[in-house]
Amino acid sequence: MDFESLSGDLHRLMDLALAEIAKADDPAALEQLQIQYLGKKGGLTAVLRGIGGLPPEDRPRVGAVANEIGEAVKIALAERGAQLRSAAQAQRLVAEKVDVTLPGRTVRRGTLHPIPETIAAIAEIFGQFGFVVYEGPEVEDDLTNFQMLNIAPDHPARDLWDTLYVDIPGRLLRTHTSPGQIRVMQSTRPPIRALLPGRCFRYEAVDASHGFEFFQVEGLMVDEGTSMADLKGLLDEFAHALFGPRKTRFRPGYYPFTEPSVAFDVECVVCGGVGCPACSKTGWMTILGAGMVHPVVLQYGGIDPERYQGFAFGMGVERIANLRHAVPDLRYYLENDLRFLEQFR
Amino acid sequence: MRVPLGWLREYVDVQLSPEQLAERLTLLGMEVKGLEHWGADWRSVVVGELLTVEKHPHADRLHLTTVNVGSGEPLHIVCGANNIAPGQRVPVALPGAVLPGERRIERTEKMGIASEGMLCSGDELHITSDAEGILILPPATPLGRDLSELYGDVVLDVDVKPNRGDALCLIGLAREVAAATGAKVRWPEITVQEAGGPVSDRLSVEVREPQLCTRFVGRWVSGVKIGPSPDWVQMRLQAAGMRPVSNVVDASNYVMLELGKPTHTFNGAAVKEGTIIVRLALPGERLETLDHVQRELTADTLVIADPSGPIGIAGVMGGADSEITDATTEIAIESAVFDPVSIRRTGHRYALRSEASLRFEKGQEFRLARIGADRVAQLTLAWAGGSVAKGRVDTAPEEPASAKLAFRPARVGKLLGAPISTDEQRSLLRRVDVDTEPAPAGTRIQVAVEPQPLVVDPGSEETLVAVVPTWRRDLVVEADVAEEVARVRGYETTPAHLPDTLMPAYRPSPLRVRQLIRDTLVGAGLTEVVTHALVSPLHEARLRWPADDDGVAFPEPAVGDPIAVTNPLSTQHSVLRRQLVGSLLDVLALNERQGRADVAIFEIGNGYGRADAAPREWTRLSFLLTGSAEPASWNRIASPYDLDDAKGLLELLCRSLALPAPGYAPDTRGFPFHPGRAFSVREQSPDEILAGRVAELHPDVVQEWDLRSQRVIVAELAILGLGRGRLPRIHVAPIPRFPGAERDLAVIVAESRTAAEVQTTIADHGGVLLRRIRLFDLYRGNPLASTEKSLAYRLEFGAQDRTLTEAEVDGALEAIRKGLAADLGAHIRS
Ligand SMILES: [Zn+2]
Repeated sequence: MDFESLSGDLHRLMDLALAEIAKADDPAALEQLQIQYLGKKGGLTAVLRGIGGLPPEDRPRVGAVANEIGEAVKIALAERGAQLRSAAQAQRLVAEKVDVTLPGRTVRRGTLHPIPETIAAIAEIFGQFGFVVYEGPEVEDDLTNFQMLNIAPDHPARDLWDTLYVDIPGRLLRTHTSPGQIRVMQSTRPPIRALLPGRCFRYEAVDASHGFEFFQVEGLMVDEGTSMADLKGLLDEFAHALFGPRKTRFRPGYYPFTEPSVAFDVECVVCGGVGCPACSKTGWMTILGAGMVHPVVLQYGGIDPERYQGFAFGMGVERIANLRHAVPDLRYYLENDLRFLEQFR
Repeated sequence: MRVPLGWLREYVDVQLSPEQLAERLTLLGMEVKGLEHWGADWRSVVVGELLTVEKHPHADRLHLTTVNVGSGEPLHIVCGANNIAPGQRVPVALPGAVLPGERRIERTEKMGIASEGMLCSGDELHITSDAEGILILPPATPLGRDLSELYGDVVLDVDVKPNRGDALCLIGLAREVAAATGAKVRWPEITVQEAGGPVSDRLSVEVREPQLCTRFVGRWVSGVKIGPSPDWVQMRLQAAGMRPVSNVVDASNYVMLELGKPTHTFNGAAVKEGTIIVRLALPGERLETLDHVQRELTADTLVIADPSGPIGIAGVMGGADSEITDATTEIAIESAVFDPVSIRRTGHRYALRSEASLRFEKGQEFRLARIGADRVAQLTLAWAGGSVAKGRVDTAPEEPASAKLAFRPARVGKLLGAPISTDEQRSLLRRVDVDTEPAPAGTRIQVAVEPQPLVVDPGSEETLVAVVPTWRRDLVVEADVAEEVARVRGYETTPAHLPDTLMPAYRPSPLRVRQLIRDTLVGAGLTEVVTHALVSPLHEARLRWPADDDGVAFPEPAVGDPIAVTNPLSTQHSVLRRQLVGSLLDVLALNERQGRADVAIFEIGNGYGRADAAPREWTRLSFLLTGSAEPASWNRIASPYDLDDAKGLLELLCRSLALPAPGYAPDTRGFPFHPGRAFSVREQSPDEILAGRVAELHPDVVQEWDLRSQRVIVAELAILGLGRGRLPRIHVAPIPRFPGAERDLAVIVAESRTAAEVQTTIADHGGVLLRRIRLFDLYRGNPLASTEKSLAYRLEFGAQDRTLTEAEVDGALEAIRKGLAADLGAHIRS
């Protein structure tokens, strides 16, 4: 045995190994080849057994050749292994393909009712101007619902509020949120900025634009020097927040509990002011009533009308919601047909 | 009020277009709700002249006419009326014409003779109430002209507010037009030719209730001839929405529309002894009113009577016996001022509210009683002939002077937020006939009238006195002057700016907690509903929901009897609900009818009850689940809602609200609950913020509500924060620095034991090292006895300051094991 023949054996072994590695087509075959060539009982070891027959000065040279060849086989194994893994992964990914255009797995979500949502929207706007929310009772007394609001018994203005009475003497279902003004004034001192949302009741036959139950939001601001100009500025902001940049106007109105009283109109949201059936061809839509709190009402609230003045406003929530969502029929709100409610997603 | 523009122009010049006028009036506070083109529904109706009128050869009652309509050949028209003669000018509906009510006129044949159109009666045109004869036009009416051009008018529909009774008439609105445009108001010339004897020979009046009838002016007209009033009068009344009746009745109605003064005309012959007594009705008295209804009069009804009994309900409706008929020749005119409250009550009591009573209710200008009586007498004479008796009967001839109202111009400016010079205020007030004078020394300001009059000393502030016109009964306090200044000046001149005064103190919003709950439940798949608070009494009867004081401590408990509405619109909505559950069942029923089987809804709303004659209200969250929690789809099978979903929602709510996990206690009462599937819930914070009842409904309830759904799960929850807006604070524990140790524990326990009992026992015996308990398996079957079940828990132990040793964990586990054995007879499966 000499160095040349041993080296030749090693190189043949390497050629054989590299050829087999290149042909291997799964990780198991590679593992087999690793054992076959590099294992304790493998080909390389077998060849090296002949090293003992070499002159001592040749032995390190054979060792170096063997290491070189062993490295070359290891690298070939690793490279082939990587090739096979990446091919296998590519195949798996192809197999895992899904139709991404199928609809997703539904995550169920309900919808919020437009009435409380509109109340929340109104409260959010006025909240930015310091108005805090109060709530009053829905079963009211005649005194607070009418008399303290400057509506004496047998006042002709009572025709404006057809009333539902209950089987408790002196009590009724509040016809508006305005009695809340009295309750707020009686429970706190100026400066007052209060918002009073809630359910109201009237003796009114139901049709597309009337109901015996409905919701209102009342506003009240009282301080020294609170004026009609403050009211106008605030309501302009409110209208712009809700309906975008639109013209607004005040015109005289009538409520027994405010003096002067105004109606607040916004340029028709349907026709933009040119006139259409929705605005009775006037180009304007009335969104709320307001005015300066009547001195009588301030007095009932325990507030000195000589020192303080203030304004109040009241709006129908359904009216605002109608304008925001183009709801064609007032009955939709309390009927709760899911085909209506589920549109508010 | 309907205001024909042509009629209005008689009292004030109007240069504006109807649309412009409508806007100006609206901006002055007289809201014009609509503009109607009166006569717009006469199409192709022209003025014609009758050339010939002959008998129809085949029909006695028909005439053949030829009519010149100004151009083309004369038309041949067959006509059934008897009041026609050659030379008359008449309205002719040409072939193709359309009359009110979409009635189309075509070329026809009548009894064998062609008719090229139709001659029209006043009734057919809705101009007068005469349906018998053809409307005969004045001889000078231009031939061929469109009738709508000649007689058409624009009618304004003005919404006169309840405080402005003075504007419920043409003169009143003419005053408003004058205020808006600066034009002058023209009163009609009111003079009465008195050719008869003294009125005192015919009529005497005794007012026994001077509080309720502050003035009664009477006049008498003899020898009238009752008939239709002139066509132009009928046209005006029709356009104003009032049906013409007869010349005398029309005169009274005309004056009411013109001056705002309701009057009544009696058949003078029916007024016994010519004596009118104004008094309260006597017990048992009856009256047949003009609408031919026999009415039992109550003792507080003010009546107009003669010595033999009532002949009218004052201010509301006259009696049938004294009604003007075709045979009437003697007319007694009543022009009175009644107490508005009394009229209003009477109108309500008899459900009789007329145009007259509406005006009386709003109060009457005192002097109008005199003017109205004169005007009715004048028009009666003009339209029905006869002679007017000399003078008036007048129970209170003295007419009060104008009221005076002191005001501070600076205050007016302060209220409006815009300084307005005194001179400008004075000239603005002048436009609504309010004169101003310098205030004499010592003048005081009326700030409020009720509840206690507030009169203040203006000190050195500039003060004026407004002289209030007698018709403006609504100007009483200083703020009323401010409104006149503001509306005449126009609100477009009011500046707008955001308030810059002090802000109020912080107050938590009750909407905040609700918003959190709403968002949570919507995110969990429930849809929010808002239902009627007024429900059918059947809700109570069908549901028999337990009262809150029955076994569970509720925050703001719902207790007491239901509150009923005494004047409900329908029994469907006649009682205030105590629970929301019934309303949700109604919503389910409605949606089932639309084919919906999967319904998950909630509502936050009030319940109502009465306790000791005082109303009480409480706020509740209620939800209802039925059908599939997850509807089936291509990638998932449907899973029906069950009680565990309800509990999942409760637990989610508690997490959202930062509350401890809720505890459940079985409720086995049965109806209205499924006896084995109902529980009360209570969250376990010391504040007891959440409590309620959750159940699958008893099948009998489901059936009573006529529901298709088999299983309906409902919850009614009281949440303290719903009304308060504050939530518990979260107190953070330090993050554990040392890892915990987990152990699984399978507890075998008798069926009768609840999971809550097992969990509580584990917690009680777990000691300080037990951090968390989680149920992960429930098992029944082999090798367990049929009376047993196995609950498998994963327990986590740990301490803040060290990693636990095996021995420590085993010790804690052993304590739990012993506790379970001792308390529940449970043993551990290993
Ligand atoms: Zn419009």
